[in-house]
Amino acid sequence: MERFDALVIGAGHNGLAAAAALGARGKSVCVLEKSGVVGGMAAEGRLAHLVYNLSEGEKRRLGVNLAEVDTVSLSPDGAHAVVRRGAAGFADGRAYPDAAAYGALHARLVRFAGVLAHLAEAPPLGLDGGLASFASLREIARLGKVGLGLKRLGKVEMREFLRVILSNAYDTILDELPDGPLAGALASDAVRGAWAGPRSPGTVFSLIYRLGHGGAVYRPEGGMGALAEAYAAAARGKGCEIRLNAPVARVLVEEDRACGVELADGARIAAQAVLSSAGPLQTMLLAGVAHFDIEATRRARNMRAKGSAAKLNFALSGRPVFTGLSEAQHHARLLVAPSAAAVERAFNPAKYGELPKSPVLEMVLDGTRFSVIASHVPTEPQGGWTRAARDQLEKVVVQAIEAHAPGFAGLVTGCEVLTPADIADLTGAPGGHWHHAEMGLDQVLTLRPIAGNARYALAVQGLYLCGASAHPGGDVTGLPGRNSAAQLLADGVL
Amino acid sequence: MDARVTSRSHVPLGLIPTPFQSRLEALSRAKAWVNWAGYVSPAVLDTVEFEYFAIRNQATLYDITPMHKYRITGPDAEAMLNRLVTRDLRKVRPGRVAYVLWCDEDGKLVDDGTLFRLGAQDFRLCCQEPMAGWLADAAWGFEVSVEDESHRVAGLALQGPTSFAALEAAGLGVGTLRPFDLAEVEPGLHISRTGFTGDLGYELWTGWGKAAALWDRLWAAGQGRGLRAIGFEAMNIARIEAGFIAARTDFQPSNTAMRLGRGRSPVELGLSRMVDFTKGHFNGRRALLSQDPQYHLVRLDVGGFKPADGALIYHRRKKEVGHVTSGVWSPTAKRNIALAELRAPFGARVTGDLWAEIYVNAEGRWDRRLVPVTIQSEPFFKNDRARATPPGLF
Repeated sequence: MERFDALVIGAGHNGLAAAAALGARGKSVCVLEKSGVVGGMAAEGRLAHLVYNLSEGEKRRLGVNLAEVDTVSLSPDGAHAVVRRGAAGFADGRAYPDAAAYGALHARLVRFAGVLAHLAEAPPLGLDGGLASFASLREIARLGKVGLGLKRLGKVEMREFLRVILSNAYDTILDELPDGPLAGALASDAVRGAWAGPRSPGTVFSLIYRLGHGGAVYRPEGGMGALAEAYAAAARGKGCEIRLNAPVARVLVEEDRACGVELADGARIAAQAVLSSAGPLQTMLLAGVAHFDIEATRRARNMRAKGSAAKLNFALSGRPVFTGLSEAQHHARLLVAPSAAAVERAFNPAKYGELPKSPVLEMVLDGTRFSVIASHVPTEPQGGWTRAARDQLEKVVVQAIEAHAPGFAGLVTGCEVLTPADIADLTGAPGGHWHHAEMGLDQVLTLRPIAGNARYALAVQGLYLCGASAHPGGDVTGLPGRNSAAQLLADGVL
Repeated sequence: MDARVTSRSHVPLGLIPTPFQSRLEALSRAKAWVNWAGYVSPAVLDTVEFEYFAIRNQATLYDITPMHKYRITGPDAEAMLNRLVTRDLRKVRPGRVAYVLWCDEDGKLVDDGTLFRLGAQDFRLCCQEPMAGWLADAAWGFEVSVEDESHRVAGLALQGPTSFAALEAAGLGVGTLRPFDLAEVEPGLHISRTGFTGDLGYELWTGWGKAAALWDRLWAAGQGRGLRAIGFEAMNIARIEAGFIAARTDFQPSNTAMRLGRGRSPVELGLSRMVDFTKGHFNGRRALLSQDPQYHLVRLDVGGFKPADGALIYHRRKKEVGHVTSGVWSPTAKRNIALAELRAPFGARVTGDLWAEIYVNAEGRWDRRLVPVTIQSEPFFKNDRARATPPGLF
């Protein structure tokens, strides 16, 4: 039987990041991917089409060129807002009346994000060893760093941090700005991919999470596929093997230790550790629920992961023209999020299993390809994702674009609709959820993805979670994978 | 089944009568009823002394219908239950009964009970605490069905040295049953050689509708063999003598305790022999492997003759180290006996110089007595007739 030190299930960016981190420490690693492409949700044409949460270190490691782009928040009255980091203006170059307030709010949220950012860079805090152990002292020191960071904000800002951190994005944004495209842009960023509207509690936290690295938006040169390839190349560079079209049927467990996997074709591969990019429940099912405690499976079953974002990949016969945008501005990130209130209303139909009527859109134009993320859509609409439901979603989205780019509908030559169900099928992400598990306050940090399994280890020795459901969460960061590998090594598994 | 249980029109008010209630009502001189899991159940029917001595010298009928009963069937029934309980059920053949414990993820006891293996894929779990929710969670991911039979299956405990003779007289042949054996002696009537008294005895399980007739049949056969109906109090003395633990008395079922740290592990309850670490994973296994016992439940021989129920236990008369969870005067052993929970290392490494503080109200005046206690390794009541097969026809 073939043997590796570690097997990684799923060649998403996190699985590849985990493999690379283990490979860098001289471990033999094989990554097993069920589909024919690497990158998972970040693969070309899948859910992600932009990058905004990649750390400087990760950018260097991957060596991929990222071009920062503006964000254009389209306004029904043609007064589109253009944003880059904290700076806002009108698309025609006029000064935005709320630019100062927007800049101050953005800067504050980025500052708050900075206080929490280093928590994402390592496994969540844990005091497993008891208060007196050396490991725990280090953990307490990390916690102290957060406290110190808070203290450094100054009294007023610290108070503000504590006031808003558990609050909702809607109130926090509208405390500073009048409702409109600027507020809408922030509100939509707070909830894109989430089963939450901007008025849901905890959405300030999810907004801060997005702004973890300053809030800049990037397009990888060569598209998301290039970024996915960069992750794969980094793993291969560390000696890892990547096998495509190799779906794992079972994780093999012996004497309470993960000892390998069985592939769908019956082949077995032995290993001392198995890292899974799937969610906790899928991973438990792969290993067999009998190996886990009843409480753990109950928590895994009840983990909240309802996908709310759909991806529409349009093929166009020509370049669409958006009213009021310059040639260059067409290559910005385009948002249809006219107000925070509209973003909240866009969530309403999804709650009842209905398709959106006025979806919030994030759009990226690449030649004649037009990539659109539509939210919120129901995870599973009433009646299921039938042909008719898909067509209806496409129609609604085309209408919404047509309102800003007359003639758009005539340019469409093809449209691939990826519903949350499709994304779940393609990538294994629980519920097709952007973050694999809702980034609610009940499912972050030491409670991510579920209480008791926050430190990547999934009860059976040598079995680890390395996907976005694990801390710190989704977006293309590579952090869950890297943290998982670090924890696995710290636990002495390899 | 009681109409108030099946009726969805309203929540049943008051206590539910078991199918034996009409018989018990007629026999009750004491009119002392208690609420057992929502059912009306006798505390005492005549006097506790008569009833206790009937357990040890004659035969007794005790209505155990209020026990919770769950039927677990399906291809994965064994695997699902083997993950639930601490024993290895692969070693329990059909037609056998196993005393089982099940723990939460922290290795603390959720409850204990008896598991009847009716077939290769057919089990009945019988326990003190309601367990439907826990079993539903435990069954997830397994091909099994879990059915709550509590309101459909009636149970009777027939215990005492003449219980075998009474069954023979009733035409129910159970001579070949060894302890913890189970047989369907007639269609719809299961008899197991189990009980809560440590003595020769049987438990009979049948459908709700057939229960009263079964009582009458046994009652008629028991005349001349000293058969008496009994209540909880006499049964409780017998179970303490036998050294059996009771939920909510000697341990707190961990899913019902609201305060942290109230749960106890099988090791802490002195039941480590019921835990099989070699059988593969079971609920709480990892926690049990990683923890040292913080408490020890022990059997105590208490000085004096005043029952020590609830008494605090001291080491060297000074340091409080635990308390009595069940204490009673044992009429058969003629000793003052108790089950007590001691904080480790007391009860294991340290066993000497232990004292119980007993408060006695002597006609309005409180008297405090510090009496020596000694830890016993054996149950206070043990009799070979409980294990002989075929049993004696006393």
